[in-house]
Amino acid sequence: MNLSSPTGTARSPLARFIVTVLLWLPVTFAVWYVVAPVLMFAVRILGMLAVLPLGDLVSVIEQKGSALVFVTTLRAGQSAQAGGLVSVSVNGLLYSFGMPMFAALTLAAREPRRWVILALGVVALLPFVTFGVVADFLKNVAITSGPLVASQTGFSAAQREMIAFAYQFGTLILPTVTPAIVWVVTHRAFLERMRGLTVPR
Amino acid sequence: MVDLDEDARRRRASAWRRCSFLVGLVAFLFGLELTPWAQRWFVEPWTTALAQISTSLVTLFDSGVTATGKVIASTSSGFAVSIEAGCNGVEATIVLIAAMIAFPAPWKHKLMGLAAGIVAVQGLNILRVISLFYLGQWDYKVFEWAHLYVWQALIMLDVLVVWLIWVRTLPGARDDRAPPSPPAAATASA
Repeated sequence: MNLSSPTGTARSPLARFIVTVLLWLPVTFAVWYVVAPVLMFAVRILGMLAVLPLGDLVSVIEQKGSALVFVTTLRAGQSAQAGGLVSVSVNGLLYSFGMPMFAALTLAAREPRRWVILALGVVALLPFVTFGVVADFLKNVAITSGPLVASQTGFSAAQREMIAFAYQFGTLILPTVTPAIVWVVTHRAFLERMRGLTVPR
Repeated sequence: MVDLDEDARRRRASAWRRCSFLVGLVAFLFGLELTPWAQRWFVEPWTTALAQISTSLVTLFDSGVTATGKVIASTSSGFAVSIEAGCNGVEATIVLIAAMIAFPAPWKHKLMGLAAGIVAVQGLNILRVISLFYLGQWDYKVFEWAHLYVWQALIMLDVLVVWLIWVRTLPGARDDRAPPSPPAAATASA
């Protein structure tokens, strides 16, 4: 592969694809940033479903732009009267930045029905974004908020360990890996064609 | 036609099996990475080495930079960056390892691909660390954007590109002078 040579770039479909992805990235990042509040509205709905098994721990999830605010029933102080209710704000962008990457890859592949694939892919990624957002919230109330608040959640030590792992996995792995996997799954024909063409020598 | 459908079904099932294996392997390797043993003997030394390598490269053109543990600092501006989990390239390497193990290929090719791939991923990660170090001194908002969103996506894109290049070098990949598969045939076999 010869990226520096115009002829080489023209010859290698993979090099051409990579260059096209890089050209699409600024556009998709800009669009993602603008439409993030809409995406977070969907994540908020999914988040409300995700916290249902937690009983009355979360009273409501509010949205402020791209941030979701989990208003809990937990008290910030020791007694029932002391302190207000604990609220946790989670930046949804931290868990959805893989979407512009997915969009750039999809648009650069130029497959038939790419806009449908793009829309379906974004929808498929929403549950994973929700997972990261909810895990972030749980990490805050169960681990980093301190013993006063954490003790009210009633989570066992094993559950706190699971929450810590879910948070790490939802932060470091899922936001980047799931868009790549969804793209590979939705572009098998493209990948097979790409595999059929070896790098020019 | 029936055979083609059957073949397509088999290939689809195989692709889903591989994807499930990939996700399981990533989760397993990531869990392994989080153990105190792996942190102490692998992640922390690697992160320190990454800071040292990045600083060595930076000092070729900027002598006012030092590394202490996993922290890179500018002696002139006082700005410093600490290389934390997610920025040391370990997770990206885990994904690359899992992707190459999950894809059917001779082990010789997997090992060669891993060696070259890890160098490529970590090479770009060094560029990420150095660029963030200077972006932070220039504009903190730009640094935050690049750090939290852009570079994360670029590193995973690097993993994907390395994997694509590796897949194209595997036995069975056709010569570049051969014509590409007709789209209809490719779609049918997906």
